[in-house]
Amino acid sequence: MKLAWLAVIFLGGCGGKDSAPGGGSGGSAAVSGPAAAAATTARDDLLAAWTKAGLAVTAFAPTASPVGADCAAGVVAKLDALVCVLPSPEQAKRQAEAGLSWVGDATGAAQAHGALVVVIADRKKADPTGRTINQLFKLAPP
Amino acid sequence: MTRHWIWLALACATAGSAVPALSAPAGIGRQVRFVGIHPIPKSEGGGICYIEGPHVHIYVANKIEYRAHGPDHYFVGDPVAYGYDGPRIAYKGPHPIHVDVEVGGDPDVEYCYLTGPHYHAFAPPDGPDFKLLGDAYFYVGEPPRVFFDARPTYVGINETYRPLTYERPVVTIDAPVGWIGARAELVGPRIEPVRVEPGFAVGADVHVQLPSIHIGLDVGGPGVLVRERPVYIEERDKHDNGRHNGHHKGH
Repeated sequence: MKLAWLAVIFLGGCGGKDSAPGGGSGGSAAVSGPAAAAATTARDDLLAAWTKAGLAVTAFAPTASPVGADCAAGVVAKLDALVCVLPSPEQAKRQAEAGLSWVGDATGAAQAHGALVVVIADRKKADPTGRTINQLFKLAPP
Repeated sequence: MTRHWIWLALACATAGSAVPALSAPAGIGRQVRFVGIHPIPKSEGGGICYIEGPHVHIYVANKIEYRAHGPDHYFVGDPVAYGYDGPRIAYKGPHPIHVDVEVGGDPDVEYCYLTGPHYHAFAPPDGPDFKLLGDAYFYVGEPPRVFFDARPTYVGINETYRPLTYERPVVTIDAPVGWIGARAELVGPRIEPVRVEPGFAVGADVHVQLPSIHIGLDVGGPGVLVRERPVYIEERDKHDNGRHNGHHKGH
């Protein structure tokens, strides 16, 4: 019985950082069905746009983040990037702010573009003038 | 039971480090929010940050060149002074900036207090408040009370820019009627040169306020040496010369 309680406490109380500003990963439901397909396409389109612009884009892997449940992280032009798919543009706007906690102590930005939340962090100081960061956001859909 | 709590603590610690994304710094305490292009402090490498949308850095914004736009800091100075190489628009004298038009967000009009020719990265909105003469914009609108109220706080930006060496716009055309830079509140009374007879040894400083003009005389020896120091328009009280009703807060 004690172990069962411990399990409950563990599951409920150790979410910790995951439930930080903006509601954490539980703040938005995972996208499913046709919406999921469209959203995934939007993320793929964004990565394709970055690649087409001549930027070096690594593979993006699913990751947990405070922005939402469907997030993938990778590296673009030596910048850390996180692209999350939210159920709607409105939720993306609300959750974009949470992306700043993923940026941490670095130059960066988190913006909503449609149902996507795009977060860029320059943790290696690879873009001192911010031109590449600016370009990444300009290439994102409005 | 004690062992259970120890186990729980260990489990929590382990779980926390097992989620890759959470290994990134979680706190945003050191972040400073900006929106739009702005200078980068020399200590951070100098130059211009070209990120146009909202973003964060781990350095502060000074109070004289930035205004609060929502939660962000918006740069109202001359970016060319710091090496900006994008499109530039020339202005002469103080003028409003419609920040929301430039970077979005809630309606927000801030003011640039640079008195001489300078650049911004944007043109003013269409309308009667600005006149374009000789490739420079002159503000000829009627500034609201807040412009005068905030001026003492921000007009020091001119002292910041005066020593900066950069390619400023050259504006030789006469300012149009109604230009804000010709307003009595900002210019003050004209001071005639002071004539000093030979043989006097004079050391004089005259301080005239409203707005104050600082004239320095340095006369010595048998010859006459009159050195007129630069005229500084200082921020003092009664800059509206009584045209407006009431007194400004804190004056």
